[in-house]
Amino acid sequence: MSARWLRPAVRLGAALVLPFVVPGLITGLIWALPGDPASIICPPELCSGTEALAERWNLDKGPWHFFSSWVSGALTGDFGNSWRLQQGIPVAELLEESIPTTAALVSLGLLLLILGATGAATRWLPAKLDPVLQAVGLVPAVVMAMSAAAALTIGYGVEQYSDQANLLRLGLGALALGLADAALSGTVTGVRGLMESERRQRYVQMAILRGEGTLSNALPNTLPALAGQMRARTLHLLSGAVVVEVVLQINGLGDLLWGGTLAQDFGVVLAASFGFAVLSAALLLLQALVEIGTELHVRRSPGGVVA
Amino acid sequence: MPGAPAGRVNRVLPASLAAAGLALLLVPGFFAPEFLSEPDMANAFAGPGAVPPFGADQRGRPLLEYATQGAWVIALPSLVAALVVMALSTVGGLIACAGGRHVQTVVQIISEILGALPRLVVILVVALVLPRDGRGLLPIALTWAFLSAPGAIDEASAVAARLGGSRFVEALRAHGFSRPRIYLVHLVAFNLRPVVVRQGVETFMQVTFLEIALSYLAVVSNQSSFTHADSVQSWANLLDLGYKVVLGVHSGHALALGLGLVALVAVTAVAVTHAVRAR
Amino acid sequence: MQIALAGALATVVSTGATLAFYEESLPTSMNPLYAQSMVDNRVHELVLDRLYYHSPITNELTSNVTNQWELAEGGKAVRLTLKKGIRWHDGKGFGAKDVCFTVQAMLDEGTTSPIAQKQRAVFAGCEVEKDLVALVRFTKIFHNPRERLGFQVLPEHIFEGNTAIPPDHPFNTRPVGSGPMKGSMGRRGVAFEQVDNAHHEADIDKMILQEAQDPLVQVRTLQNNGVQGIIAVPPPYRPEVAASDELALKSYDLRSWWFVAVNPNKAYLADKRVRQALNQLINRNELRQLSIGVKPDEQNPPCEFISGPFVQSSPYYNRAVEVSPNSDKDAAFALLAQAGLKQVGGRWQYKGQPISLRIGIKAPLEIEAPDLLSQIGNQLSAGGFDRQEFKISVDEWNTKVLTGQSDDFDLLVGKWSFGLVEDVNPLFHSRSGDKGNLNIFNYNEKAVDSLLSQFNTARTDTQAQDAYHALHELLASELPYLFLWKLDTKSAWRTEVRSNTITPYYYWTVFDAWKFEP
Repeated sequence: MSARWLRPAVRLGAALVLPFVVPGLITGLIWALPGDPASIICPPELCSGTEALAERWNLDKGPWHFFSSWVSGALTGDFGNSWRLQQGIPVAELLEESIPTTAALVSLGLLLLILGATGAATRWLPAKLDPVLQAVGLVPAVVMAMSAAAALTIGYGVEQYSDQANLLRLGLGALALGLADAALSGTVTGVRGLMESERRQRYVQMAILRGEGTLSNALPNTLPALAGQMRARTLHLLSGAVVVEVVLQINGLGDLLWGGTLAQDFGVVLAASFGFAVLSAALLLLQALVEIGTELHVRRSPGGVVA
Repeated sequence: MPGAPAGRVNRVLPASLAAAGLALLLVPGFFAPEFLSEPDMANAFAGPGAVPPFGADQRGRPLLEYATQGAWVIALPSLVAALVVMALSTVGGLIACAGGRHVQTVVQIISEILGALPRLVVILVVALVLPRDGRGLLPIALTWAFLSAPGAIDEASAVAARLGGSRFVEALRAHGFSRPRIYLVHLVAFNLRPVVVRQGVETFMQVTFLEIALSYLAVVSNQSSFTHADSVQSWANLLDLGYKVVLGVHSGHALALGLGLVALVAVTAVAVTHAVRAR
Repeated sequence: MQIALAGALATVVSTGATLAFYEESLPTSMNPLYAQSMVDNRVHELVLDRLYYHSPITNELTSNVTNQWELAEGGKAVRLTLKKGIRWHDGKGFGAKDVCFTVQAMLDEGTTSPIAQKQRAVFAGCEVEKDLVALVRFTKIFHNPRERLGFQVLPEHIFEGNTAIPPDHPFNTRPVGSGPMKGSMGRRGVAFEQVDNAHHEADIDKMILQEAQDPLVQVRTLQNNGVQGIIAVPPPYRPEVAASDELALKSYDLRSWWFVAVNPNKAYLADKRVRQALNQLINRNELRQLSIGVKPDEQNPPCEFISGPFVQSSPYYNRAVEVSPNSDKDAAFALLAQAGLKQVGGRWQYKGQPISLRIGIKAPLEIEAPDLLSQIGNQLSAGGFDRQEFKISVDEWNTKVLTGQSDDFDLLVGKWSFGLVEDVNPLFHSRSGDKGNLNIFNYNEKAVDSLLSQFNTARTDTQAQDAYHALHELLASELPYLFLWKLDTKSAWRTEVRSNTITPYYYWTVFDAWKFEP
């Protein structure tokens, strides 16, 4: 296979296996946790049903048995019931609520980054603003989220989980994700650096002399790198979403993952990490498609040229 | 930049800032007390004037102790994590120039999968798995470093690929340079240095922010700390105390100190990046 | 500026007839068979009915669901006649089959619950004699059998007769009960809705339970009328609540007392003189002042020192055993020297090895008594002991500490809460079979076991009191625990909430009388 197609091919392959490899790895890790969910609910010293509970939850024959049982259920959409976090509630129901919420949170945060990237690429955002963005980016996401959470709780009180408050919560969370931890400032300076470096290339200078646009020439060549940068940023947002969701009490995937891990609710942890893996795989897929599309566009013969 | 010959990069100022920042971050930790002082309620929430240099907490204990204990928690593990990422990304860049396509493919597949793992969950599970007496930031920082390495390797490989990869090496060999010199000097020192160091300082900052986030999450979840002994205060405790200024508590000085420490980490990172940037 | 904005928002948002309050945490389960915390116990009181309970006003054993009872089968069974017209929240009839189903569920080995396990030593079975008549059988003759019928009744029809109730049954989050309120747990709180019934007619239509935030945020939200109550206000915030005309602090009798358990299995702590020395090193006045904020000369403090395993208001408390509110270093050092410990460079050593005390505390207790762990550590350090401090999560406390598997600790700071019956046998009896199942460090002392057996077999209140008075005296000398204090639990409610009688331990027992006039 030609080298230029290798990278997108690897990404496509990884996108396909990720939703199962990630839960598998997580299973291996959570198996190492001290104790087990059955013993937490029914400690052998106080309760005689520990083994029966372990058998009910497929915990009695090792991690592979547990994982393969989980996969066979997951393939039919059955993720089982929550054991401890929301006892008895189908995990699929929890996922249905969480995935769109996290997707919305990360998308809003990403929107901020895309706006910043576009502004930097087109030079609409002046470089003089970079120190301001960097100063704002110094604030950790957890501090922004803490302040927002306190204001929401005091302001809304019992209505803090109403639709209006949840929308505001999502917006504040997206702001925290996008601005804090140098997310926006890093995106702006990264894209600006990439585009300025590309602008200095001779072919772009020649294109300008020909009267062509800078972006139309530079963008196809920088698109794979930009896609890679944005994917890395999105993964960073996904990771940061866990903290923001927990602090701001947003019912997303990160909050589910955190609560499930602390409670050793393995079904919830695996399903939530499956959700994260699906989102990551979607990003990988997108990046692969962008790379493929760019390659096809760049190598397209212009009309009228004799081969 | 004034005073610098045209085409030369002035590294003196950023290098000085970087050295000062690293010294401020690393050295005070060695003088951190093992336990906080006895409370002195008469000095509760005292400002820097009353309890120099940073004021006091709600029990009159100097915030300097929080700052030094927090530095002790963060500094060395962050540095180690940064060095690990730098080493791995350097290796990634070297493989891009020296390794065959198969090696690069394998590295890329591993990188894609590792890079797509939900990091904070892996971190949390690692933190919970550690035995009580082995809890600390170092294992978590190392885990974070290994999970961040794929992105760093990717970027270093891209830089090496832009140079021409193995053809770059061949060209320099044709000029009579030895392989060690080509790899260590021309590739790593001249070309990979800026991106590798930038990845390292980003990891340094990320581990600092990660520690603050994990410490705060442990507090709100009524858990034992994941990153340090329960008798030690981290910068998260400073920020937790400080953010209460929005609730009318006189803890603005704690917030200022907490954010100032975070700014110190960021400024140090930026200074290091500028000090090693390419011409 | 943020507070002003928050205040403005609060006036715009109306709470209507919904009563909102903060609890210490979300319940772990809405199924009483899987209760793990006091939060669970309180929530179950709203949603389900106990067969019998003690009236908070008269202390008499009473019932909302039974008309009459009689002993049967020579005292080994009780025949209960249930009231007519009681319905479950889904409209189905409440009857004898539900009572018997609940007993059978507790007896079923497939119900993997420690609570059910304990009840298997009490109940032998149940028979439905008529629609509203159930015969409950016990394993033996009990002195006051109705005291054993304090369990909540579960609906047979929800479980379709399957008596093996697992912990992941949907009932555990969305229960169907017969109590004054129907409850449903979400990820952020529990929503309650009033349901009219033959035996309940609550005045409040809706309630919302929310998980406790930062205590300061809770108090501010309460002041802004964002919520109307806080179940447990940490002591440092009580003065602020008490100072407000719109808020009222109400006592919530939990009969809880705080302790530092000492590990007698460690060689240097096996000698009781060392434990007595530690007791002398602890300055309770200073601890109380620094962690809870109570001054030594305060009148009617919410935090009362104790010298044994009972609260001072308990009939079992032995007033002849004095508390030691202050430390006595000289006495402590003398005891340590007698026990063979040596001080080298100001630090105590045992057989040439320096002693470093590993001290743990149940993590949520640090909210009620901030910095208690570090203050205890400071005092012991001042007395010449090195130390390491640890916070212990609730899960680890329940699975390791309470089951006697925390031998790596030297000292553990905790709190016990009791209902009306202060049975301390599980705490101090040596572990064997079903005895001593809450004995933290597997303390084993024959004289203590003997006194605990005396209490168990007591036929009169006087006999029971004598046994526990003697136990108090013995434990104050043996010191498997350093007894600290009883800390009053206070709830805060806005004055719009009226007639809010709080039942000891269960809290909501007389909720029907509560009124909310926003």
